[in-house]
Amino acid sequence: MTNVPVLSIIALTPTVAALLIALFGRSPKVPRWIALVAATVCLSSAAYVYATYDRTAGGLQFMESVPWIPSIGASYTLGVDGISVPMLMLMGLVMFTGVLVSWDVTLRPREFFVLLLLLVTGVFGVFVAVDAFLLFFLYEMAVLPMFLLIAIWGSTRKDYSAMKLTLFLFAGSALLIIAMGLIYWKVGAGTFDLRVWSDYTFSPEFQKWVFLITFVGFGALIPIWPLHTWSPDGHVAAPTAVSMMHAGVLLKLGAYGVIRFGLTLFPSAIETWGPLIAIIGVINVVYGAMCAMNQKDMKYVLGYSSVSHMGYVILGIAMANSYSLEGAVFQMFAHGIMTALFFALIGYVYESSHTRQIADISGLMRQTPLVAAGFVIAGAASMGLPSTSGFVAELLVYIGIIQESPALAAVAFVGVVITAAYLVRMLGKILLGEPSEAIAQISDARPVRVAPMIILALTIMLVGIFPASMYQTIQSGLAPLLAKLAGG
Amino acid sequence: MNTTSMLSLMLPEIIVALTGGLIIVLDLIWPAAEDSGPDSQPWLAYTGVLGLLLAAASVLSLSGQDATLFEGIILIDPLGAFFKMLFIGIAILVLLLSVGALKTFTKWSAEFYALIVWCTLGHMLLASAGELFTIFLALQLTSLPLIVLIGYAKQDPISGEAALKYLLMVMVSTAVLLYGMSLIYGSLGTSTISEIGTKLAEMNTIGPVVALGLVLLLTGFAFKITAAPFHYWVPDVYEGAPNPVTAFLSVGSKFAGFALALRIIVTGLQVEMNWHLILGLMAALSMTLGNLGAIRQTNIKRMLAYSGIAQAGYLLVGLAALSQEGVGALLFYASAYLFANLAAFGVIIVFATATKSTSIERFSGLSKRSPLLALALAIALLSLGGLPLMAGFMAKFYVFLYAVKAGLVWLVAFGVVNSVISLYYYLRVVWIVYVAEGDPGEIRVPLGAGVAISICVAGVLVLGLYPEPMMQAAQFAASALFGGQ
Amino acid sequence: MTLPQILAFTILVPLAGGVLIAIIPRSLARWARPVAITVSGLTLAMATYLWVSFDGTSSDMQFELIHDWVPGIGTSFHVGVDGLSMPMVFLTALLTVVAIVASSKIKDLVREYFTLLLLLEAGLMGVFVALDMILFYVFWEVVLIPMFFLINIWGGPRRNYAAVKFFIYTLAGSLAMLGGIIALYLSTGAVTFDMLELATDAASLSAATQTAIFVAIAFALAIKVPIVPFHTWLPDAHVEAPTAVSVLLAGVLLKMGSYGFLRLGPQLLPEGFRALVPVISVLAVISIVYGAAVALMQTDLKKLVAYSSVSHMGYVMLGIAAGTTAGVLGASVQMFSHGLIAGMSFLLVGALYERAHTREMGAFGGIAKVTPVLAGTLVFASFASAGLPGMSGFIGEFLVILGSFEPYTWFAALAGLAVVLTAGYLLWMLRRVVFGQLNEERAAMPEMTLTEAIALAPLCIGTIVVGIFPQTLVGTMQASIEAVARIVGR
Repeated sequence: MTNVPVLSIIALTPTVAALLIALFGRSPKVPRWIALVAATVCLSSAAYVYATYDRTAGGLQFMESVPWIPSIGASYTLGVDGISVPMLMLMGLVMFTGVLVSWDVTLRPREFFVLLLLLVTGVFGVFVAVDAFLLFFLYEMAVLPMFLLIAIWGSTRKDYSAMKLTLFLFAGSALLIIAMGLIYWKVGAGTFDLRVWSDYTFSPEFQKWVFLITFVGFGALIPIWPLHTWSPDGHVAAPTAVSMMHAGVLLKLGAYGVIRFGLTLFPSAIETWGPLIAIIGVINVVYGAMCAMNQKDMKYVLGYSSVSHMGYVILGIAMANSYSLEGAVFQMFAHGIMTALFFALIGYVYESSHTRQIADISGLMRQTPLVAAGFVIAGAASMGLPSTSGFVAELLVYIGIIQESPALAAVAFVGVVITAAYLVRMLGKILLGEPSEAIAQISDARPVRVAPMIILALTIMLVGIFPASMYQTIQSGLAPLLAKLAGG
Repeated sequence: MNTTSMLSLMLPEIIVALTGGLIIVLDLIWPAAEDSGPDSQPWLAYTGVLGLLLAAASVLSLSGQDATLFEGIILIDPLGAFFKMLFIGIAILVLLLSVGALKTFTKWSAEFYALIVWCTLGHMLLASAGELFTIFLALQLTSLPLIVLIGYAKQDPISGEAALKYLLMVMVSTAVLLYGMSLIYGSLGTSTISEIGTKLAEMNTIGPVVALGLVLLLTGFAFKITAAPFHYWVPDVYEGAPNPVTAFLSVGSKFAGFALALRIIVTGLQVEMNWHLILGLMAALSMTLGNLGAIRQTNIKRMLAYSGIAQAGYLLVGLAALSQEGVGALLFYASAYLFANLAAFGVIIVFATATKSTSIERFSGLSKRSPLLALALAIALLSLGGLPLMAGFMAKFYVFLYAVKAGLVWLVAFGVVNSVISLYYYLRVVWIVYVAEGDPGEIRVPLGAGVAISICVAGVLVLGLYPEPMMQAAQFAASALFGGQ
Repeated sequence: MTLPQILAFTILVPLAGGVLIAIIPRSLARWARPVAITVSGLTLAMATYLWVSFDGTSSDMQFELIHDWVPGIGTSFHVGVDGLSMPMVFLTALLTVVAIVASSKIKDLVREYFTLLLLLEAGLMGVFVALDMILFYVFWEVVLIPMFFLINIWGGPRRNYAAVKFFIYTLAGSLAMLGGIIALYLSTGAVTFDMLELATDAASLSAATQTAIFVAIAFALAIKVPIVPFHTWLPDAHVEAPTAVSVLLAGVLLKMGSYGFLRLGPQLLPEGFRALVPVISVLAVISIVYGAAVALMQTDLKKLVAYSSVSHMGYVMLGIAAGTTAGVLGASVQMFSHGLIAGMSFLLVGALYERAHTREMGAFGGIAKVTPVLAGTLVFASFASAGLPGMSGFIGEFLVILGSFEPYTWFAALAGLAVVLTAGYLLWMLRRVVFGQLNEERAAMPEMTLTEAIALAPLCIGTIVVGIFPQTLVGTMQASIEAVARIVGR
């Protein structure tokens, strides 16, 4: 029990910073510094939570609760457990590195950082909310900043992509209103507190159908095939920091929602829907990988690669055993860091060369060894090579899958091979050989740009080589859910 | 009931009536100067505002009263008080917004202000009406000023055309209403709403006559609340009317219709009709047709007209739930819609005064020309779309929540899908305002309009973050309808 | 410092060295090679010390070090050596030093080169000393990235194709192995990946389960060895890789596969091993004969050596498949010996390439007249490869044939005949390159340099020492191999 409302600090500091920037950010340099201060506060608070979370005790900790709308029973209740703590760390890291990556934004920096910070608030909030209404509120809150961030500061086909992304996400979340309404009245306790909701035993029929609504609603964000089409375009169109947040964290909101809402409230539904979800997961993995193979733009490769990697999370959920779920959450963290690193690197290259076409780039290893090393680490993590966090995540998911269905595992492995193929091809092309014309002017990143790459790369390797603490955290967080799945 | 207490109960209406008169009198004493700047006799408007504020204070002092006057012809209850506050608020805001805009289409500003005030009086009477023919009279009292107001821009042909269309609509809806009222009166022998309710409760089955009467009443109101399929007059009238009048129509007239519909239908609940289905279908139709219509619009007034039709649909969802909580949600939604819509129209009024255009395209780059206007418009539209931080989100959530409780999941699904569709055209405007490149040139915001827009935006944000007090007020108002449960 | 800690350091020192070289500034790049030599020399010293301290009479794991890694799933940082892995540890350390010495001609991206080489060494070391399945897999995979870049940056004209093929092929196999490892983990029900603990648990699994698991694992191993028909990545990788990398590739990497068979087969999944052995023996013989036959047809020197490696590794696999003490002993000796011999061969081919800028045999001829020392060493290496008595190759091949005579008489006979084939292609090569008419273009060829001599010397000496005093090697291996043979039951 701590008296300092750490979680509120994490969730609200970005909002306060946004306000400050809106009021005082006329000069172009001020917004980014305010944002950086906010990011530092959030990251250190998240790290503090990660370090002091009591893994043996488990359960929700760092709780805060203030009534908000008593007439419907919505309250401002925050708390984290072993599932949300890694997500906090992830978001803290991505936010911090995202601000650094955006250091040189010259177009309307004030609006940029205000919107970025609002987005961050929404995402942080979802991870720490224990009240379903609050969670939903913040989940939807993240929608608008994404729209403007892409529409104003984006690149390829930004207007189309921004609208598509926003409508898809809004549609997904709109579906959730129905689920929430149904659950609220079924529980009948006049509260949106997730703890009360998860204690309630719903009838199997109810569980089955409301789980489906929840899965589709949150699934649009994961993104599950066939609701994934907004994601690659969104990845590509967004400015670098937004892509980092999009691929790194936003996608995880969907998976987090499925686990927190879907599985926790409706454990018996997974027996019905498990096979279907598994098939979707496999399609994500293989189809995503195959699409990535065909892409000529690096960011599109990454976009489809995200679809593919989130397939492992979906598979982990579908298998619903301890290893697979632990792997799914681990993958949420690992993929988030990895993809943020990738986007930071690609963004840096794009700024100098104004191209993201693989064909135009080669010889990065000679021009920018640090950036090249970053690409290697990110690529290794993406392939799930050992000594990276990606390996630990995929190992756990594999164990979980093989436990249920070796055949499915074989298909998943095919996905890994395809992933290796397109990554080796892409990285081999851009890193080796003689430096191409497009990148002739590029110099190795200066400290403010190199710092985020180092931070993310180090995280990948640290968690990859010493995964015990992250693993324990996740394990303790999943324990209640696993007990429910086993008993129910 | 003695005269003094009767007068004190009617104090708000009396004050409003006098305010209107005062405006006219003051104008006679100090007529408008020839060229007095862009604002049209602002002091008259501010006088109106003051009077209205006084009226609001008196409504508040009377709140909690539950009384009837003239044996049930006038009801003084929390529901009426809630609506009266809404109407007064609307009038105040419209007056503030009109001040800088009237010069563009008329020089008869005093009359304009007075008409707005008296129309509001009519609305207030409608909100307290407890008897069918009083309703009829009050409706005429509001329609007449509105027709004049809609046609106020004499040199603009479409204003006259809009006024004519509105007149036609009024005639048709009035005829329908009258027919329905006579059927009910003829069958039940009473025109007082509460007595109608008692009589209906006693009957085991209602005959087709009463049923038809109720349906006709509902149809009559549907015109006023801009519900489909009786919405065809809306886009043209909204487009043709002068901007401040459109603003007034979009909320004032609509809410008046809802006030009536609430009184009649809740009473009519005693009757075994599939209200859920009827109201639900009307709601679904309104939402869908409204949103689909809005997508293709290039004129922002027409877009907001269709948007208003859709919003009527969402309001109807609250009604379709047929529960006290549902009605409470509807009332909350109304307050949210008030702030959002008036903020949007406020921006449009200022913009149109400066640029003489209401074409959506011309809004390009508004964020550079006036960051405050752009922000206000964005907040307003996103509230209408139902994004969090804004009142619209809370409003939609409440309405959908209580609709689910009433078992209308299909309707909520409709509502949800429609919200997504609507977000498309709202976002498109936000995009145009913030992303697209447009004409240069700063746009000046007049003081009165600025204050009004700020109040509305503040309202949107406050209701969006801390809706509890308004929710409580709405639920309290709704309880009056359902016998104080 | 305790012996177990030294063992751990054989991995950590190269790792640290690699990182160190990576961060030295570009202006000081010329220090990269000296630092690398120092680091690898240190590692060699530690490996030597460990070998000397090794107790050859015991078949238990020695110098064990165990540290929790992820207790939740039962994996730990568990390392140790026995008679099977001790020689491999030494071989890795030795060949790394040799490779670094032989890398004097690398001028491009020097720091990166030595960093990758040292990372490679760390990975190779790790595979041989790992006693936890996940740890084993980790080091198995760690080898991939350095290898990929070493081939793809400093390699020959078709290096990209070769590197990608190597990478994808090996990765696919590794995934199969991972699947097998996980299946084993789940089947035993014990929450541990520790090889020693699993050995007792796994024996109780049904034969069918064990076979299925071992087949999955064997995929990766077969690709690595490589056993025909999984060998197609090898010629390209060898030919395109720079000399020093080929030395490590042929000298150590291939042994990862055969070592894997010995480590993961008999003790962990005995029934599975026994079931698979007939298939392996067939494939082994095919490898021997096919490898030799194709080597016979080569005109490119490096390709010849590459295919001869396939052939020689065939002997190793035959010996393992035989399962007798003699057979497995022969296989292990052959593993060590081939490491030395292949190392020599590739160094020499590399030396010739440096001088002539071609590896076609037609470009040479009669070099004995011009560069007698170089030619002489080539002759020496070829005889060693052919298995001339007095050199280590003979011991290995002899023991393999002897040991497989009983279980697979006909195969042993074939293997014996193949020795003739081997001698054939090697002598033919010598005739064309070393003897005969002097090729005019080579008239001015420089003699062996000091650097080359230093690189070659330990390998030559080692070949002779093991050839004449095999007990130095066998003494270490004997006890562990007997334990293996006992399990296999022949």
